Amino acid sequence: MSTRIVLGKLLGSLATLAFVVVFNFFLFRVVEQDPVANLFRGRNLSDAQRDELTREFGLDGSKLEQFWSYIQQTVGLNFGRSYVTNQPVIEEIADKAPATIALVGVSAVLSAVFGILIGVLAAWRRGSKRDYAATTLTMTTYSMPDFWLGMLLLTLFAVVLGWFPVGGISDPNAPDAGIGKLLDHGEHLVLPALTLTVAYLGEYALVMRSSLIETMREDYLVLARAKGLRDTLVRNRHAVPNALLPVVTLAAINFGLVLSGAIAVETIFSWPGLGLATYEALQGPDLPMLQGLFLVFSASVILFNLLADLVYVALDPRVRVS
Amino acid sequence: MSSVAVASARRIAWLRRRRAIAGAWSQYRRSRPGMIGLTVLALFVAMALAAPLLADESGLRAVNVIGNEPWSSPADFAPLGTDRLGRSIWTQVVWGSRTSLLVGLAATVLAALIGMTVGIVAGFYGRRAGALLMRLTEWFLVIPFLPLAIVLAAVLGPSIRNIILVIGITSWPSMARLVRAQVLTLKERLYVDRSRALGASRAHLMARHILPGVSGLILASTTLTVPVAILSETTLSFLGFGDPSRPSWGKMLEEAFAQGALTEEAWWWYVPPGVCIVLVVLAFTLVGRALEEILDPRLRERST
Amino acid sequence: MRVVGGILAALSAVAALVLAGGGSGGTASAQDGERQVFTVGYWQDVDSMNVTVGVTVAAYEAWNIQYATLTDKSAKDFSVSPGLAESWEGSDDGKTWTYKLRPNLKWSDGKPLTAEDIAYTVNRSRKEEWINHSATVANLTAKAIDPTTVEIKSSVPDPKLPVMDVYIVPKHVFQRYDENAILKYDAQDGVGSGPYVLEEFKKGQFIRFRANPHYWRGEPPLRAVVIRNFNNAETMVAALRRGEIDAAHGVTGAAYDRLKGDDGIEVVEGNQGAFQEFALNGGDGLKKGHPALSDPLVRQAIAHAIDKQTLVDRVEGGHAEVADTIAPSANPEWMPELSDDEKYAFDLERANQLLDQGGYRDTDGDGVREMPGGGQPLRMRYAVRSESPVSQPNAEFITGWLRDIGIATTQRTYDDGQLTEVIGKGDYDMFVWGWVPFVDPDPLLSYFTCSQVSSDPDNPTDYYNDANWCDPGYDRLYKQQNVELDRARRIEIVHEMLKRFARTGVYDALYTYPDLQAYRTDRFEGFVRQPEGIGPVLFSNTSPTYASLKPLSEDAGAAGTVAADSDGGGIGTGAIVGIAALALALAAAAWWVVMRRRTADERE
Repeated sequence: MSTRIVLGKLLGSLATLAFVVVFNFFLFRVVEQDPVANLFRGRNLSDAQRDELTREFGLDGSKLEQFWSYIQQTVGLNFGRSYVTNQPVIEEIADKAPATIALVGVSAVLSAVFGILIGVLAAWRRGSKRDYAATTLTMTTYSMPDFWLGMLLLTLFAVVLGWFPVGGISDPNAPDAGIGKLLDHGEHLVLPALTLTVAYLGEYALVMRSSLIETMREDYLVLARAKGLRDTLVRNRHAVPNALLPVVTLAAINFGLVLSGAIAVETIFSWPGLGLATYEALQGPDLPMLQGLFLVFSASVILFNLLADLVYVALDPRVRVS
Repeated sequence: MSSVAVASARRIAWLRRRRAIAGAWSQYRRSRPGMIGLTVLALFVAMALAAPLLADESGLRAVNVIGNEPWSSPADFAPLGTDRLGRSIWTQVVWGSRTSLLVGLAATVLAALIGMTVGIVAGFYGRRAGALLMRLTEWFLVIPFLPLAIVLAAVLGPSIRNIILVIGITSWPSMARLVRAQVLTLKERLYVDRSRALGASRAHLMARHILPGVSGLILASTTLTVPVAILSETTLSFLGFGDPSRPSWGKMLEEAFAQGALTEEAWWWYVPPGVCIVLVVLAFTLVGRALEEILDPRLRERST
Repeated sequence: MRVVGGILAALSAVAALVLAGGGSGGTASAQDGERQVFTVGYWQDVDSMNVTVGVTVAAYEAWNIQYATLTDKSAKDFSVSPGLAESWEGSDDGKTWTYKLRPNLKWSDGKPLTAEDIAYTVNRSRKEEWINHSATVANLTAKAIDPTTVEIKSSVPDPKLPVMDVYIVPKHVFQRYDENAILKYDAQDGVGSGPYVLEEFKKGQFIRFRANPHYWRGEPPLRAVVIRNFNNAETMVAALRRGEIDAAHGVTGAAYDRLKGDDGIEVVEGNQGAFQEFALNGGDGLKKGHPALSDPLVRQAIAHAIDKQTLVDRVEGGHAEVADTIAPSANPEWMPELSDDEKYAFDLERANQLLDQGGYRDTDGDGVREMPGGGQPLRMRYAVRSESPVSQPNAEFITGWLRDIGIATTQRTYDDGQLTEVIGKGDYDMFVWGWVPFVDPDPLLSYFTCSQVSSDPDNPTDYYNDANWCDPGYDRLYKQQNVELDRARRIEIVHEMLKRFARTGVYDALYTYPDLQAYRTDRFEGFVRQPEGIGPVLFSNTSPTYASLKPLSEDAGAAGTVAADSDGGGIGTGAIVGIAALALALAAAAWWVVMRRRTADERE
């Protein structure tokens, strides 16, 4: 893959990131009337403290000067302090990101894998009852609001049957190391991960299915079959790998949505990740927190879109555009 | 002499169009999923339109239902039971259909208009302007929908008009991209060149030749965007950004969750609105895919 | 395809190995069978551990756990009992009290607790007007006579003495922070004198306290106490039933009724005089509300439009009692009885009549009245609290009735911190909120004096008068009761104050409600109601339960374990990798199965 292509795409992504940063500024500064007072809600501020903070955050300048200090702060990853906890936003985000990455990462992998498998099974038996059932089922689950599915699963498995916890990421009294801790986290992870997996595998199934159907028409496959090769081999060695390409791109893009994808589901299950943090930041609203989260989500999407683009170019021999 | 020629030319075009539509319809009729989707949709639209006949609107307000027993199951209070404040679930489902359908359709139309315009202009003008517009589109695609929608809803305030605006603004990019690609293909077609040779203006070209060419694609793609809009409205309402003065299925789910329907095992509160959402979304998806098969020229070769 | 499956399988194996050896290596020790950590759930957050800053009910509970007071209150009937002081003597004029501290008192960090700490707390809190202390210490000065004797002098006769129930803070910690810095101090270093002191604070998730070996009653039998935060009252109840928590506070009415029938769970209806009120913007703060609200006629009409009994039945599920005035104390004798014509009965017709009388007609037929002469429509801003499970249902009813009398509302939702600021700035017209009073009525009564109205635009949260209402007559009565030593006379004055306040219609008390709580009976014992027989077992005025809580004697505990220094709500990398490994293993298995199937496909 030529460096020119990579460089081109990288620059493009940086440009997009820059746009998002600027957009972020206008979006939130429009809302915030008095950032300094907001910073210390519920606490009394003396005039001296107020002046000091105004200077610290560069809020005493003109809009242009404010914008410049905002840029400086963003580059330095200083997103201000949360109104609610008064801790630096970047720390809060770093603290909560692993929970979301764990949840959505696992769900993304599982939904991709199972979605692809279902798509393959359905396409290979196109028109059959199996195809019909698989397609209908996946379209139905894909039409569900993900949090509604979460509500159903929560009621059935946690409230009625009591097999899994009703929420949270861990029992505060559980052991904090080794197998015990793993089991505790795992137990809490099951229902939310199941929800997200089932809700999103439909997309993979449907895309994989159409992609595979299209691929199966290709001449070289006919040739392989004519040569007398066994069906599963034809499918697995030739058709599926080529059909995978659009799905891979889809997967990469979806991974980018990892961080922002689970707001409603995290709320249902009280999963203390970035999604729940967003929901709670909205209650205030905790503007510095929202601003930081927004930036992090956008950056993650940009990053994965870039990766998706690069992967696509690398994998598809037919695509070598400049 | 010439007026007759013009009239008949127009008439021929009109006849041709009618035949095309009739052809498309009979093709559509053959698609079973498409027909199922259409029937379900028709039922829900009928429900939305006939709402006053199906349920008393005053039952939406808690102060009017003090006689009702709260938390009643469908067995005790037909047809779908009551919620925490004694309001009938059936009434909320029926009247909520209006909001969900309205938002879904209006937001999609808005997204389609913006997307279509951007796509056609970008495709048509090519080079600089086109590339710039596509950059803009890409930027909007990158910004994750939900956080943006939430922030805008928080800033603008939760009213139905703002929700439509927010969803419309965040959904146009994908349509713009599709349209532009199609426009680029069409530009290559012969009749466009011929018209240009004849001295047709850009506007004329866009309106008379490109537009009909992409309209099929737009119709199909629009139909497939409605489910996204409906699900977005549901999610926004669930997170507390719906219009508090209107019933909606998403708002029902939010209240059910917040008021304890899960632990009270009052399934009748959150299952019906969810089922309705699934059915409507599924219906639009089926109709959209059926339309896609018929109208999208790229798909026409491969039929399932 | 073998490649893909192989890759997945290999990754799983590696991850499993990492996980087996990994984990965050804490020093957890599990003690079989013995339950040593008590967890109570609540849906409100502790806003701050710093007594000069926090205001929430949850924060008060945290302070009850961590700090001892000079005098204590009995669980039976709030009567004054020895705390850090074992005895006290008053002068003849009642204005000077001398307290003798117990010998060898220590803070949890081992430093001695002396009269210096007492004097320091009283004097500094008075000087800097700490919001949670100033009502009690406003007229007091303290002097340490010797390490175990402290003298407290009041400048006026004070009916509250000898009760000294303000939280005593450690001088050796607090003196490091000056007047400005103390407001930013997070007070999370766990130095206290109560039965348990702070060990870990994870805002929004949980707060854990460890046993204080230097507690004056002796080291408590439990290893730790945890207050766990839930963002949904119903999941909290589900957690209680599942055994994830041992007790729950703030259970909703419907859940309470269901829990009554559960074996192994005891429900408590604890009366503390807590009440909810419907407050209008009285207009004396930084900004006036809707102009119509300054007209007493309009306020009366609004008062007539609220059916308090329906709110009790529908919103609180019958677990409440209609109130006619605010409740300044957990002790009901401080609340007056109103005659029928002193009350605002629910009467929509009367309400409409009053508004018609006042000239507030609906001139453009849109169902909303306008100001006399056809001016501004009566459209009000109604603030809803996101943190309360009853705020939205109350809003649903109240806005419904208001609409029936021609007043339209637009709702805005805020969390409690934000709403406090909004009220301080005057940017609202109406809201529903509540109070949990103390035992002596003075503090709560002081909150509605003129000096407590928000007046500094740079500090919009530095106030307590959320009625934004200033009444010099009320202030006069307040000063009178503040120094009235004759109890019967004092009660009379307070009754007059409350009736006067209720008449204005600016702050309409809706109902008093008990704290609904529940706890499991199979794990711990030692739950104490305060006051006896009618009060709650937790989150009460001094929360005596924590001093007496211990594991159930014949407990053959199921999953009881001890939590050491854990990172609680966080998730370590070891865990992520391990879980991912599990998932990948699943995926690999599925892939292998599907891609390797021979039988059915052979036949084609």
